[in-house]
Amino acid sequence: MTEERFVVVGNGPAGHQAAMTLKERVPDADVTVISRHRGSAYRPHLLPDFVAGKIPEADLYVCPTDSYKEKDVRLRTGQKVVSLDLKERSVALDHKEIVRFTGLIIAAGGKPRIPETLFIFRELMLTLKTLEDAKLWREKLSRCDSVLMMGGDLTSFAVTNALLQLNKKVYFMLDKEAFWPLRCDKATLEEAGHRLFRRGVEVLMERRVKSMARVSSRECEVQLNGDRVRAGIIGAFFGLVPDVRFLVGSGLRIDRGILVDEYLNAGSAGVFATGDCAQIYHPEIRDYWVSIGHDNAVNLGRTSALNLLGECVKVEAARESIFEVQGIRINTSWWMEF
Amino acid sequence: MAKVDLTVEICGMSGDGTIAAGGILNEAMSKAGLSVLAFDSYPAEIRGFGRCVTLSRFGDEEMVALDDKIHVLISLDDKQSQSRVPFLAREAMVLFDNRPPSYVDAAASIAAHVEPDVRLFGMPFGDLAAAASGSTRGRNLTALGGFAALMGIPPEFFHGVIRKKFSGKGEKVLEANLKSFDAGHRFALDEFGTVEEGLGDFHGEREEEERILISGNEAISRGALDAGLELYFGYPITPATPIMEYLAKALPPRGGRLVQMEDEIASIGAVLGSFFAGKRAMTATSGPGLALMTELITHGVMSETPAVIIDAQRGGPATGLPTKTEQSDLHAAVFGGPGDSARIVIAPTNVLECYSYTLWSFQLAEKYQTPVIVLTDFFLNNRVENLRLPAVSEAERADWNVYPEEEVREKYLRYNLTESGISPRAIPGMEGFLFSATGLEHTERGTPDYSPENHMKMTEKRHRKILGALSDLPEPQEFSEGVSLDVGVIAWGSTFGSAMEAASAARKQGLKVGALKITSIFPYHADKIREFMNRCREVLIPELNYEGQLANLIGHLHGKDVVRLNRTPGMPIPASMILDKVESIIGHG
Repeated sequence: MTEERFVVVGNGPAGHQAAMTLKERVPDADVTVISRHRGSAYRPHLLPDFVAGKIPEADLYVCPTDSYKEKDVRLRTGQKVVSLDLKERSVALDHKEIVRFTGLIIAAGGKPRIPETLFIFRELMLTLKTLEDAKLWREKLSRCDSVLMMGGDLTSFAVTNALLQLNKKVYFMLDKEAFWPLRCDKATLEEAGHRLFRRGVEVLMERRVKSMARVSSRECEVQLNGDRVRAGIIGAFFGLVPDVRFLVGSGLRIDRGILVDEYLNAGSAGVFATGDCAQIYHPEIRDYWVSIGHDNAVNLGRTSALNLLGECVKVEAARESIFEVQGIRINTSWWMEF
Repeated sequence: MAKVDLTVEICGMSGDGTIAAGGILNEAMSKAGLSVLAFDSYPAEIRGFGRCVTLSRFGDEEMVALDDKIHVLISLDDKQSQSRVPFLAREAMVLFDNRPPSYVDAAASIAAHVEPDVRLFGMPFGDLAAAASGSTRGRNLTALGGFAALMGIPPEFFHGVIRKKFSGKGEKVLEANLKSFDAGHRFALDEFGTVEEGLGDFHGEREEEERILISGNEAISRGALDAGLELYFGYPITPATPIMEYLAKALPPRGGRLVQMEDEIASIGAVLGSFFAGKRAMTATSGPGLALMTELITHGVMSETPAVIIDAQRGGPATGLPTKTEQSDLHAAVFGGPGDSARIVIAPTNVLECYSYTLWSFQLAEKYQTPVIVLTDFFLNNRVENLRLPAVSEAERADWNVYPEEEVREKYLRYNLTESGISPRAIPGMEGFLFSATGLEHTERGTPDYSPENHMKMTEKRHRKILGALSDLPEPQEFSEGVSLDVGVIAWGSTFGSAMEAASAARKQGLKVGALKITSIFPYHADKIREFMNRCREVLIPELNYEGQLANLIGHLHGKDVVRLNRTPGMPIPASMILDKVESIIGHG
């Protein structure tokens, strides 16, 4: 009997769930999780609460790192996958190590998106994707009184709540990209602006950034069309893009994310993609959609693991929760809750 | 608790420059003002096989033992370093070569084996060294550069040591090594920054202390030289060979002579002959060599001829484990040989004592006219500490031989039955003091005599003399608080450092635990040891041997069985293991 060697790339909600499901179902299998980040899996959707100081760091974690060992899952942190060889059934790591697999689940997640027009200012902006980001937010917030929120993805509203609880002055630039990757009509935009205003946020509608510069160790100045805003932190919340550049040339089909069927198979036997990095085919709408949100990620992680083990579990997505934005269909379990 | 207590291990394959890097690291950290205790472990083969490890503990307080938890592992060979992973402390740092010459399987990568809490710092050691110096040979220096950057240690400390080490090898070699170091330092600073603060701050705090980084073997050599060593006879054997190498350079300029003999039997024979002729002489060997010397050592006992023998213990029996440490020659040192052949056996516990006990062994040998065995072990011989060697006084090197009085000229009894058992010893050539020296049992004049009465008298005289040496031998040294103890840990040799650290840790937990250092192995201070034992509910004797050789020697002094902790892994016993044993004894009490 061939020993099963499963490799999971990524230790976010989807990757963690996939690994644990694999181990639960096949206790004898060799399961390895490879993550660029250090530490155990955590709940990224709680990061705004952590920034607000509402929960301690320990509460972010899904489990302590020791529990991987207890479950005989090898967690490799701070290690980066740089390529995939489908023929050899292996991934290569940044330090020139080859890790072979009999089954692979790619749960590489996403990385913060910065619009092209703002890319040159990226060093001046803070994103909030990782725990390291959150720690930086906390550190900087302890030294400043005001924040300019730009973009306006789903996380931005949670962060705004956190900032208001911390009694920070919040400026919020709302524009048509505010709810990226969701499409947003004018009425929704105005409604969102109204809600923010009622909570004490200074809303800046339909502004464009002309320039951005650090004016002191504590403040940046943003020149907009019409105004100028000074703030201690400039937050960039333009959504996430799948972090799959390392797969270019691997033979997997890549669009914005990894194109997978409704079973999350990436087009090669034993290779699956899940979570934020997957673009999932929906046979009814005959198009691909991407999923965001913690609960969806966990469900997808579990589904990918089951299917890697030979089951045929279709990804469930209620049509009414699928949004089409900029040509991409989006499913989210949070959006309706906002 | 020390502010700095850092254990760094460099691990590679023979030929990777592991030991050289460790030496530079130790010296640089010493220059930075930290206490250093370091130990190398390497294979018996010269090159190309096996694992080389340098283990260094640095702190702002005196270090008495190695720590079994590694805070920083520098991997020069990932395959070899994997065996060190179980010893990594939580959140340990691992520096490794992330650009090996070819892709490797997970089995050959350290990154595949570390726990998730470990902080990995991948650096292209070989590539950086090659780019900086034109050769990958400096990759060990590149790794050190990375270490210095990560720990915030100013590179100047390393530069000075590298200059000192390589300046004799030409400008090109020196430059290549400096550049390799700087390349690693620059890379790590750019890539990772300084991740640990505080290590670079100690410079100046102890700056006026004239400390030198010195190994046990060097300390033994210096002790012998300061004692006025005139002749050295030896046959190379690990781990004693460095003593011979050191003296080969240092002894001739002082007017002494060093001769490599055909074997250990010849070596001890020559040492006895030299002392017989009134010249201070020494040999150094290890277990197999001591076994060969056995008969002539007893000849020294019988003929009452001084000798100084360093026995650097290694794993045994027979050829055993040439490059691993053990404390399993105690029986052989104390009892080895035919007949009732009591001799003096002393065992230093640290590098400073290696110096002072060797220095002083010559006087003991002279005064008590007996072979003196200085029992060290691989860990003690090979470890380095930074310390200040005291200036030797005239009293410390004075001739302790008891010469015959003028009035006994022409009626001299070489083996006169005195109250102390010490018979004044004439040196051949002293007119009117002729005598016979023989390995046969003899009369007071030295004439062979096998009569029962004579043998009984002479046997008793020789033992009386050796027991009398107790007045000159150091008493056991106690490290404890309070009178009654739940556990008393008695240790000897290099294991004592771990015992003391374990006892200290136990006391910090509120446990009543003390440690007793025994350096006089034979004769031993029975009354003092018994007095300590009587104050202990339990006595624990940890030793690096299977048989519990010190426990066998002194265990009978306790009212009940002593608890033994006998280990033979070829590596020192960590304090944590002794502490665990102490806790388990108390827990079961």
